[in-house]
Amino acid sequence: MPIIRSEPAPSLDRIESARHKDIDRDTHTDIAFDWVAGLNATGREREDALRRLHALMVRAAGHQVWRLRGLLADDSPGTIEDIVNLVADDAMTALLGKLDTFEGRSRFTTWAFKFAIYQAGNEVRRRQWQHRQVELRDVATPADPSPGPEHHAEAGDLAVELSRAMHAALTPHQRRIAVALLVDEVPIDVLAERLATTRGALYKTLHDVRSRLRAHLVASGHLDSQGGIA
Amino acid sequence: MSGPAARLTSQAVQALLLDTEPWLSCEDCFHLLDQHVEAVLDPDARPDPAFVAHLAGCPACAEEAAALAALIARPPEG
Repeated sequence: MPIIRSEPAPSLDRIESARHKDIDRDTHTDIAFDWVAGLNATGREREDALRRLHALMVRAAGHQVWRLRGLLADDSPGTIEDIVNLVADDAMTALLGKLDTFEGRSRFTTWAFKFAIYQAGNEVRRRQWQHRQVELRDVATPADPSPGPEHHAEAGDLAVELSRAMHAALTPHQRRIAVALLVDEVPIDVLAERLATTRGALYKTLHDVRSRLRAHLVASGHLDSQGGIA
Repeated sequence: MSGPAARLTSQAVQALLLDTEPWLSCEDCFHLLDQHVEAVLDPDARPDPAFVAHLAGCPACAEEAAALAALIARPPEG
């Protein structure tokens, strides 16, 4: 729904400048605040803690959405504000569900910020790709049979050897995930959403892909034991 | 969800052959993100090799670490 304004919207630079002044003013009091006690309290003490926590989430979400605004087709102040508020609400819900896992190994504010930064990145990348189709492509099969390492220096084309290795050492699923993430540069959380899986599961697939390819190319003599080009 | 077969760019070759050992999952990276980012900003702290390797191989987690570091490193203004 479009936002109707009676006055011209402030420029993004002015919004960012004002936001930074608010951040600097609040930072020291937020670090000193006993967040766990406040959020586990009842009544007005808890309400105050929740209000302050939401402000913390808005601050971190604003920071990350601002950093990633170049990915958005619409980076108008109204849209950015909508995203920040949506992300802050989602991040606050996620944080409160994990509150009992806070172990005090960092400042509470740093721990809290990461929830909003994570949600903000996901939301911006989701919007960036919302009208784009994700294709799961295989790797092209090199036409020529694989030469030995003695021919590799002459050919000078590690990409060809790597393509062969991908067909020899990887499953079709592994190849398609690797191509989507590393050739087509589909963001990992966008791909996870489209495939109804998780960022962690896709990263594990990618980690296995890398390990298999390096081992295959070391065994074939195209990489040395340290992973450098032989 | 399929298309013409892909040819590997030099950038993709580098990314595919990246050594991301020691292993660290995205879930563990997120769990440890706050303390590792605070440690990274401490000049006396030693970076965790698994954390560093994970950020090298996972652009999304690396972006989040950079954003968090930038947020908490902002010097107060007078």
